[in-house]
Amino acid sequence: MWGKRYSPGLSRWAALVYSPGLSRGAALECSPGRKPGVSVRLNEAAPEGRKILEILSPLRGLKSKRISTPGLRPGLHSNAAPRLNPGLYTNAAQRLNPRLHSNAAPRLILVLLLGAATCAAQGYTQRGFLENRATLYPQKAPNDRAKAVGESLFRYEAFYQPSTALQFNGSIDFRLDTHHQVDRDLKLSWQDREQKRPTGEIRRLSAMYHNGPVTFEAGKQFIRWGKTDIVTPTDRFAPRDFLTVVDNDFLAITAARLTLEKGANTLDLVWSPRLTPSRIPLPDQRWAVPPGLPPGVSLRDAGVTFPGGPQSGVRWNHTGAIEYALSLYQGFNHLPSLDAVPRFTPSGIQVDVSRFYPKMLMAGGDIAIPTRWLTIKGEAAHFSSSDLRADEFALYVIQVERQAGEWFFVGGYAGEAVTREGTQAADFAPDRGLTKTLLGRAGYTIDANRSIAFESAIRQDGDGTWTKFEYSQAFGQHWRATANFTLIRGDVGDFLGQYRRNSHAILVVRYSF
Amino acid sequence: MSRTIIFVLLFLQQDPRQIVEEAQRRTTSQSQRYEGTLEVIDAKSKISEKRWQYDRIGSHGSSKSVLRFTAPAEVKGVALLVMNHPDRSSDQWMWTPAINRERRIALQDRSTRFFGTDFSFEDLEERDTNQFDYTLLGEEPVDGASCWKIESKPKQTKVSQYTHSILWVRKDNYAVGQIDNYNKEQLVRHAKYSDIRNVQGIWTAHQIEMRDVKRNSRTILKIDKLQYNLPMKDDAFTLQALRRES
Repeated sequence: MWGKRYSPGLSRWAALVYSPGLSRGAALECSPGRKPGVSVRLNEAAPEGRKILEILSPLRGLKSKRISTPGLRPGLHSNAAPRLNPGLYTNAAQRLNPRLHSNAAPRLILVLLLGAATCAAQGYTQRGFLENRATLYPQKAPNDRAKAVGESLFRYEAFYQPSTALQFNGSIDFRLDTHHQVDRDLKLSWQDREQKRPTGEIRRLSAMYHNGPVTFEAGKQFIRWGKTDIVTPTDRFAPRDFLTVVDNDFLAITAARLTLEKGANTLDLVWSPRLTPSRIPLPDQRWAVPPGLPPGVSLRDAGVTFPGGPQSGVRWNHTGAIEYALSLYQGFNHLPSLDAVPRFTPSGIQVDVSRFYPKMLMAGGDIAIPTRWLTIKGEAAHFSSSDLRADEFALYVIQVERQAGEWFFVGGYAGEAVTREGTQAADFAPDRGLTKTLLGRAGYTIDANRSIAFESAIRQDGDGTWTKFEYSQAFGQHWRATANFTLIRGDVGDFLGQYRRNSHAILVVRYSF
Repeated sequence: MSRTIIFVLLFLQQDPRQIVEEAQRRTTSQSQRYEGTLEVIDAKSKISEKRWQYDRIGSHGSSKSVLRFTAPAEVKGVALLVMNHPDRSSDQWMWTPAINRERRIALQDRSTRFFGTDFSFEDLEERDTNQFDYTLLGEEPVDGASCWKIESKPKQTKVSQYTHSILWVRKDNYAVGQIDNYNKEQLVRHAKYSDIRNVQGIWTAHQIEMRDVKRNSRTILKIDKLQYNLPMKDDAFTLQALRRES
């Protein structure tokens, strides 16, 4: 009886702890997609560019659910039974984060620098920036007493074109921070499977061959599908760094990409040998809202199971008066699902929480229709899985945008329909979490150097709001300063409302070269 | 000889369409490349500078062009692809490397300033004579050069933010000296073409000053390293090409 009474709750707590940024409210309501997140970050410093960017880039959210047949007792026969054996899912070895080790890093840097020097001829271009960021939180979080976080990021990108048919692309990041979101060991990461951000990261390294209508790129690269900005259901090759919830960034994947272009039609074929997962927030930081556990109950990170095997996808895109595309993806969800296995221990109940990445088959499409007054964009996809632990569902997005003078407006709505409930304990699903929320953004370019923007997200039921104001100004040819203020309000049980303590101000100073 | 005959005929008849067509014919080339420096001068005389490289293949209504920013550093790599059509408005896409995505510039957005300059997206299209109706308004000198003053109105198939424009076409070399763009009766943008030089047989302005009348700001585009009829490939003017050269 005890197990039946409490185990669903245990799984919820597990989800909350191990899916930072996940909604307490989501867990309580147990309705997938009820807990949207809001992404606010624009990936471009230029105010003009800001208007045309991912205006409302998808954030993260949580879909968590009750375990329908929880079993705390060994030997219990139920759908949850397989989860009762921790050994079945947790393999510590798989938690190792494949990356280039420290002795390889200096060599690679040396090669890059030497390459840059020797290639400093026609056909070689470069750019980059050094960015310093200070984030101030007026309030402490229960699991994070830090009120100020400092971060530095150095990014260098280089492109070398030895001939008209061949191009090499490289990009490298180096980071530091005061809050241990960045690993303290000096390593150069390729796979992006670490929980923390690596100090050094090969952000992109690829070779591209082009001949007539054929373009082939192999290596670590960014692949973006879809047309909408609020949520992009078909953007399956674009994992993100969700470590800081309101400031996510794309991660590149290792892949081979063949693009055939004929007239207004483009066929895109992608094959990736292994999954690059999205990076989820750290459990001991403020964007992981800690649950209130009853006495005697504890949680244990049982690790992560990365799937083996490749991912592949195909997308056909037509650009006419109306643009549309159809896409098909087979692989794994880059966002983790969670399994929770409660166990009795002498000191109480321990819940082992492990992450896994279920198989996924996605069929979807997107469309952009310019009308006299607005551009209407839509995107929809259905996700199925052979893994019974994973949900099957459909996501759809509709958004409108309009640029008028110096103003830019975008707004939209995302929805979800679950077609099969899986047996997993919870999901970390920002795309699904963003459903049932109205989002909007207005931007105004004051002049060539200055811009302001206002963004807001309001839950459909009105239980949570998120508002951001941003001012950005360029100084000369290289410097830009950006200040933003984010206010989060709402009920404690709401996805947005649970972050009431995370209202903050950010100051960013960037030197671009 | 034939050019002289055409010139004489045009001078006698003063058919505005023929004048503009002749001006267009004289600037026809297989391709064009230049490096542009933009000085944006706002109402308070604050100056910001941007640079781009411009490539074009084809001419006028059948041309395609790619404009790629090279400075300032924060917009380096941002590119605009313009596909002009002889019978309708152009298609335009903006590539933003920071997000690895292109975005189509909708027709209703073409009146927006292009990247903080005083050029609108529409101003970056190549005008084709077939998309406009012309009326000769008279003659008026610009910078001391005798010019035909011609009004152009977009045809119904052409979507434009301007209800009409007035062009000053120099009589000596058929180069455009000035364009005033109107919305109804209000002057919206004023473009002044100067430093006109003959490059590979084509008279080309090396400085274009675009003034946004409402904002009282102006942008000066200085053209450098101008070349015509360079070998270029069609596949360098596609959406994939935008992505390739990010």
